[in-house]
Amino acid sequence: MAANPMQQFEVHRIGPEIKISGIDLSFTNSSLFMTISAVLITALLLFGTREKKLVPSKIQLMSEMLYNFIAKMISDTAGKKAKPYFPFIFSLFIFILFCNMIGMLPYSFTVTSHIIVTLTFAIFIFIGVTILGFVIHGFKYLKIFVPSGVPIVLLPIITIIEIISYLSRPVSLSVRLFANMMAGHTMLKVFGGFVISLGLIGGWLPLSFSVALTGLEILVAFLQAYVFAILTCIYLNDALNLHH
Amino acid sequence: MKKFLIVLVFPTLLGESLFAAEAGMPQLNPKYWASQAFWLIIIFLSIYILISRIFIPKIKSNIDMRESKIRKDLEEAKTFREEAEKKLKAYKDLMESAKVDAKKILSESSQKLNEDMQAKKNKIQKEIEQETRNAEKEIQKFKSESLNKVNTISEEIVSTLVKDIFGEDLNRSSIKATVSQVLKEYKVKKI
Repeated sequence: MAANPMQQFEVHRIGPEIKISGIDLSFTNSSLFMTISAVLITALLLFGTREKKLVPSKIQLMSEMLYNFIAKMISDTAGKKAKPYFPFIFSLFIFILFCNMIGMLPYSFTVTSHIIVTLTFAIFIFIGVTILGFVIHGFKYLKIFVPSGVPIVLLPIITIIEIISYLSRPVSLSVRLFANMMAGHTMLKVFGGFVISLGLIGGWLPLSFSVALTGLEILVAFLQAYVFAILTCIYLNDALNLHH
Repeated sequence: MKKFLIVLVFPTLLGESLFAAEAGMPQLNPKYWASQAFWLIIIFLSIYILISRIFIPKIKSNIDMRESKIRKDLEEAKTFREEAEKKLKAYKDLMESAKVDAKKILSESSQKLNEDMQAKKNKIQKEIEQETRNAEKEIQKFKSESLNKVNTISEEIVSTLVKDIFGEDLNRSSIKATVSQVLKEYKVKKI
């Protein structure tokens, strides 16, 4: 019978148990796939920057296109002031993209399908952006909760809504990515299970669904990495150019 | 039979998967949360340092190099084109001035030639006129001389004839007068 579709998300320890002051920091399959992503990214960029050709080779072109893509995304959403944060956005996008894409391989593990991973990113971005906003604008940064051009009567309600929406940023950011990845992979697994259980006759329908879903999931993997990066850019823009 | 089987299998599977989800999402098991966050920070930090310190400057320098090369090439092409245009203009100007010069030389030389021809013509005309005048003078002279000679000859003939016929010499002056008288009459008659 079909295996548990949630089994693919299970984290288990690889190698020895590492405990530091009572906290389990063991190397897991999640850590392994993070490392694989990191190694692949390094390999891609290493080969992409090894030669300095005037007419780029395919892999060099790939790294340059990635660079231009993210540079354009940042300058479009956060302006010129966001230039110092370009390496962070670049790393963020490429790391999430690689984790998502590697997760599409059968028998692999999707790092980003875990709420703790996306939440770590989201909380880091949230805290970083908030600190940045206060450092740049001082207490004027609180203006972000008070939009201009709103009638006085509505102002208290709007301000409360703004504060709630600001505070829910890390949750929405992390849950969006995590839920998309988890739901997609669960669905793939469920349909995969149907293929086996319905056999040679009835299995074709779920199989075709699986094929279509795989295509869709690859799109989602790219799209969610892009959305995560662009939302980070938008939050950064709020902190850098306060024009609420 | 098979359709019946499908109808039977579907809900069981669905029930099973739903049950599995209910059994718990591994994501919500906090056992490895610290580990995942820890390894994520370490791995992402190393990737970030690698990218920001090595790869981005490399890619940027490469792209900048290409852009500057393209800009330089374009500028070079522009200067070359300007130079070519300048040269073409110089060539056209040269051609224009050469044409004007040629026209000038042509008109000058033709004028000179005309003047020369006129001068030579005039000179020759004058020479011819001089020659004609000289010839006319000579003819006139010759005419008058011959008339005088005729007088002398006729006088001599007359004197000889008179001598031969009458055997005596006549007065020279009378003969001369007679001859001139006759000649005058002859001339009048002839005219």
